[in-house]
Amino acid sequence: MAGIKVKAKLKGDVIKVKALAKHAMTTYNMMEKKTGNRDDANFIEHISATVNGETVFDMSTSQFLSKNPIFKFQFKGFKKGDKVMMVATDRKGKTLKGKGKIK
Amino acid sequence: MERRQFLNVTLGALALAVVPASVKAEDFRKSKPAVWSAHTVEDAIKALYGTNELVEGHVKLKAAGETFDSGKKAVASSGGAIPVDFGTDIAAKTIAVFQDANPESAVCVISTNKYSVNEYSIKIKMGKPGSITIVVEGEDGKLYAAKQTLDVALGGCEG
Repeated sequence: MAGIKVKAKLKGDVIKVKALAKHAMTTYNMMEKKTGNRDDANFIEHISATVNGETVFDMSTSQFLSKNPIFKFQFKGFKKGDKVMMVATDRKGKTLKGKGKIK
Repeated sequence: MERRQFLNVTLGALALAVVPASVKAEDFRKSKPAVWSAHTVEDAIKALYGTNELVEGHVKLKAAGETFDSGKKAVASSGGAIPVDFGTDIAAKTIAVFQDANPESAVCVISTNKYSVNEYSIKIKMGKPGSITIVVEGEDGKLYAAKQTLDVALGGCEG
């Protein structure tokens, strides 16, 4: 499990972020077929982004995001060179991290 | 005794001061667990917002390249990764995504903040044809919704 790839671009006064999280995102049904145990399902439950300690994006998610999900979101109020830090937590408690500079 | 009381009061005040900060970015999986196990969109919306009263308008939704108000049915070539773009032009508190093709219906809930520009794009899985519903909780307390029906050529949930 690698981390999250973060690309952030400033356009006008809006920062557009593209983030790619590397995660299998298995559903309960998928794992029941594969291992017979619904509890083996693992997916990102929560993902958030902060810039300079301020939360700019906060999402609670379920198993129905695609495999290696892409998140695109936008925010404003920051400048070039600021760093976007992203953290995702999956169902097994593992965290994925990633960061990117605003270009 | 007085000293102990002082400590208790200060600690209590500290605990109170800390709680609102953590509530601000709400983890809806912990605060509203019923949402994630609800089997229908109606149940999930009710579990999340406590009501089923939806108002049309103010919500933008585009699934698999078709906007919801185009009148056309969208067709996704693969159910494994269906692009869903959504947003709103009003001041929103939360934005939630639901679909009715999978065993459970909630996909994600976003809590917005003062920096948010409410335009999002995600990719979701759908096991069979169904519909995607976006619900925006406005700051006026009303729920705005948009729905797009789409065909899925190849199921994505079976892996």
